Amino acid sequence: MKRLITLPLLVVWKAFFWTYERASWQYDLMVLAILAFVWITPPGWLGDPTGQGPGLIGWIVEKLFI
Amino acid sequence: MTFTGAIGAICLLPLRGIIHLCVALRIHPNILTFTGVVVNVLAAWALAVNRFMTAFVLMVIANIFDFIDGKVAKELRMESKFGGFWDSTLDRFSDLSLFAGLIWLYSTLGRHDYVLVTTLTLIFSIMTSYTRARAESLIDKCKVGFMERPERIVLLMIGAATNRMAGVLWVILLLSILTVADRIYFTWRELNGSRKVEETLMAEWQQQKARWQQKRVS
Repeated sequence: MKRLITLPLLVVWKAFFWTYERASWQYDLMVLAILAFVWITPPGWLGDPTGQGPGLIGWIVEKLFI
Repeated sequence: MTFTGAIGAICLLPLRGIIHLCVALRIHPNILTFTGVVVNVLAAWALAVNRFMTAFVLMVIANIFDFIDGKVAKELRMESKFGGFWDSTLDRFSDLSLFAGLIWLYSTLGRHDYVLVTTLTLIFSIMTSYTRARAESLIDKCKVGFMERPERIVLLMIGAATNRMAGVLWVILLLSILTVADRIYFTWRELNGSRKVEETLMAEWQQQKARWQQKRVS
């Protein structure tokens, strides 16, 4: 039980207190998470002054619910 | 090989040719650094007038100059302390000009919220570099935190090329805040650790001194 609680905390701490080298698998994960955020989030959600189009999430929402 | 490692290796292939050309022409690395800043200022102008694709192309060119200057200096055996100082100083101008371009753009669009977001991003980007430089005057190395200059520049390029600058600015801002916090904490920990070692050494010396005094008295 203790291990279950401490592991996620360790992951969060390691992500916040970043000591990994470039081109490591941890770096790859971080880059993929950032690119996902930048490209998938609809610009409207962030109030992007120049961004156009719905973004990937917006497109999926449009297709599924509209 | 990792995904980012493979991208780095692919990008390095055409750059090798440019490096060889600059070496053959014996172009001084400090001139390459300066040219990079001039092109970055042009990219900032393109951002300011909402021409993101032009800005992207100019940023790519500017950062080719920025990347190859050190390698050309090494090949030509022109590495110097001043070259390092010149490079890192002009890098700050490049960073500041790009953010200034975005601040200009958002202010002309009347978007005060993003003027603030970009200003904070600019402040924390500069603080990222400052905390490392100041820390390394006190401790050996302070290479912690994710959002360093290469990450920042690549993200700005992605933001310009795909017209997703708002998301990019939020990512740079939040990760720059974390990087500054990481560096402050790391430096505090290192200095605190060093102080403990000093205190231990001092206590041992005091003990030895006390023993030595006892012997003298006896």
